[in-house]
Amino acid sequence: MATESETLHQSRRFRLSHIKGKLFEAVLVVATLVGLVALVMLFGFMFVDAVSPGSASAEWYLLFFATLVGPMSAFTLYSRRHPAVRGANARASAAVFGGLALSLAAFVVLRAMSPYGPLTYVITVGGLPLSVVAYGRYTEETYFIGPAVVLATLLAIVWTLGSEVLLSPILDATFELGVQLLGGLPVLGSVPVPVDRGHTVTAIAVGVPTLVAASSLLRRRRSTDRLLVVLAVFALSTAGTTGLNGLLRPYLETVPAWMAYGGVIGTPVIGTLALVVSRRRGLRSGVVAAGAAVVGTALVAVVALTLSVDPRLLVVLSLGVGVPTVYVVGRTVLTDRDGQVGVVGPFVIIGGILLGAYIDQSLSVTGPDTWVTPTLLVESWDGLFPTEAGAYPSTVGSVMIVGLMALMAFPVGTGAAIYLEEYAPDSGWQGKLAGVIELNIANLAGVPSVVYGLLGLALFQNVLDFAPGLVFSASATLGFLILPIVIVSAQEALRSVPDSLREASYGMGASRWQTVRSVVLPEAVPGILTGTILALGRAIGETAPLIVIAVATATSSAPEGLFSSGAALPLRLFSASANFDPAYRTGVVAALAIVLLVLMLTMNAIAIIIRNRYQ
Amino acid sequence: MSEPEQQTETGSTDEQDESASLLDTHATTDAGANTRVHGDSVVEARNLNVYYGDEQALRDVHLDIYEQEVTAIIGPSGCGKSTFLRCLNRMNDLVDSASVDGQLRFRGTDMYGDRVDPVALRRQIGMVFQQPNPFPKSIYDNVAYGLRVQNEPVTDEIVEDALRRAALWEEVNDQLHTSALELSGGQQQRLCIARAVAVDPDVLLMDEPASALDPIATSKIEDLIEELASEYTVVIVTHNMQQAARISDRTAVFLTGGELVEADDTATIFEDPDDERVEDYITGKFG
Repeated sequence: MATESETLHQSRRFRLSHIKGKLFEAVLVVATLVGLVALVMLFGFMFVDAVSPGSASAEWYLLFFATLVGPMSAFTLYSRRHPAVRGANARASAAVFGGLALSLAAFVVLRAMSPYGPLTYVITVGGLPLSVVAYGRYTEETYFIGPAVVLATLLAIVWTLGSEVLLSPILDATFELGVQLLGGLPVLGSVPVPVDRGHTVTAIAVGVPTLVAASSLLRRRRSTDRLLVVLAVFALSTAGTTGLNGLLRPYLETVPAWMAYGGVIGTPVIGTLALVVSRRRGLRSGVVAAGAAVVGTALVAVVALTLSVDPRLLVVLSLGVGVPTVYVVGRTVLTDRDGQVGVVGPFVIIGGILLGAYIDQSLSVTGPDTWVTPTLLVESWDGLFPTEAGAYPSTVGSVMIVGLMALMAFPVGTGAAIYLEEYAPDSGWQGKLAGVIELNIANLAGVPSVVYGLLGLALFQNVLDFAPGLVFSASATLGFLILPIVIVSAQEALRSVPDSLREASYGMGASRWQTVRSVVLPEAVPGILTGTILALGRAIGETAPLIVIAVATATSSAPEGLFSSGAALPLRLFSASANFDPAYRTGVVAALAIVLLVLMLTMNAIAIIIRNRYQ
Repeated sequence: MSEPEQQTETGSTDEQDESASLLDTHATTDAGANTRVHGDSVVEARNLNVYYGDEQALRDVHLDIYEQEVTAIIGPSGCGKSTFLRCLNRMNDLVDSASVDGQLRFRGTDMYGDRVDPVALRRQIGMVFQQPNPFPKSIYDNVAYGLRVQNEPVTDEIVEDALRRAALWEEVNDQLHTSALELSGGQQQRLCIARAVAVDPDVLLMDEPASALDPIATSKIEDLIEELASEYTVVIVTHNMQQAARISDRTAVFLTGGELVEADDTATIFEDPDDERVEDYITGKFG
């Protein structure tokens, strides 16, 4: 018995190691918390600085809790017990708040750029892929849709960015190089080179798409279709490069502004609606839904005009928030009996805010003395007083820079990852090359951002001779910066797709491209988007490379286009933190940081909503 | 096999003669008590060697697979039976280190010829894998996948017909647009079979299709394979000898080292094999 109890009781040595283990655990907990606590404290101070919650009266807090916090909590408690309600609430909130954020972003960008340019592109460039798809659906021949749409998109890029802006500097440089090389050869140097730059641009912009279309389609079956598509690509690329854009633009500019906004935002929204509804309920329902959306938006505009209110923002909100909200709410109410109640979720929040604001106005309750004011959000930098500080141009600039950056870096990064994971062989010289590339990409992810700024400076200002601080240069520079992150995370996502699915697809006689497109990518998209979200978060606060390529710290108006100079929010924050006025250094900086964080969180939320749609 | 090009051009009768003469010098395949009358041979393997890097996975395999029969390939683990199956629709191409030499002909054409497109070949020779691997799409889209990638029109009738042939229609006809991943393992495997037959292939390869399933699901799959044999040429890899005995018309036995030891009518293999090693393997003395 004695020996047994000895073995069962803890020996002194065991107790010591037990204490060591506990200590180690405590150290790990401290290590986990130290960064988080510091960050939470920072946010706390920042919030107090920016909003000064102590300055609000008790009535204001009462109002705040009665109209917003109370109803919201009640609804949350209710929905927690009903999963169907929670699901419906999530969908409705995504439609309302996602639509609101995207519409506001689209509106400010369009207002800064003037909507007529984008409208021209929507009509002329968007028409090509759409007509190709429609033609394919009509004839029930789908084989050419893929290559033709890719071509049309490429064309759209060349067209949108303008052959003059993108192509001619490159051609100039190549031309110069050629002349210099030829000049080095005494005999050839005397030969006159019969090259006209304009003709070269046209020849490339028309010839390349047409040749690619011809070669990709010549192997296929029907000769008439083949010919038709090649001819369509040829005609449209000719029209594009020779200035259908310029021909159409003056006519479009006679259209009222709200129609232009409606055209730019309505085309994708109503197109998606028609597609989704017609897929679920047949073609007729799709047409009816699209028609209803158009009529509804037109009614909103007419009502606004009769009340002599500017209908631009209302039209954008009607399309960007109204259409998805009506669709989601209607669908949920009609099909989801258990969850119908959930659709009121977003309206509880919006209603609470509106009601609270109304009572606040009519009773003139003393609210908090905040720095996050309408002035800061919608005015540009002016005046010497911190209360007059505005960050609107910088906010729009940041939205444009990061938005364009995502549009550029996402396809390029995903494409590179697809090549490395799905196409590059494991062995042979190509395999070795791919290995070297992968290693370098992993290293590039760690290159300091200021070095990427130098890359942007060299490429866009020295080689391509752009003006300093353009939105496009900033986007492209940040795009280079996040490219390695996007590639690496996309590779991870592709690697996590089980090989058994690839084998199944190959076993069905699918080609590599078909396997990637219909099996691997749909599975990998959530992972790829997660990486892009992380990269977006990094890019939106990036400051050093923007300083190097001379992005303005503040401008008096939002950028008018992708090739005009813009300001960025982190730069605005940086410059405000160096202001001589202490109120700037505490209040305005804190308010700007909150705007920046909200912007980042909104962008992340939108990306997460898109990602969850795929899961 | 010094002049492979000529081989592919020669007529089918010469082919048979030559293969017979070759087979005499090699193992016991096809020789002797062959009471069964076979149809045309769909796939012919001659001197087939497969290597993964420096490692040889198949050694001089000679085998004929006849039309509308179930050919079972049995053998211990690592004997190359799956490798052989994967050669038949060139799935081994996906492995960079794999290399193939010797002759493998599908209806007289050299499968590994320069002008053969593996994608086109796989459209003729469908495959069902060991683990059920439906795509994370709806049941309907799973069945339609093969038709879509081949640019064939997809109709509800074709999908229904494929599901019926895979004995799955009755169970899923009211949930065609729900995710295939919600089905049970056995149903998933039958869906994979439906997916493979939807494109109406010539040959159906099955790599241990029932090994991941419970006994009831297994017996359903076995019934199904027997039914499919009336329309398709089926090649099934299994390491379950009872299964091979139950459902196959012919059996090929691979033993360690990638060697095809014997191939004959299933009854002959199980009752009166020529090779001692086959007898040992079948009676359970090793393997």
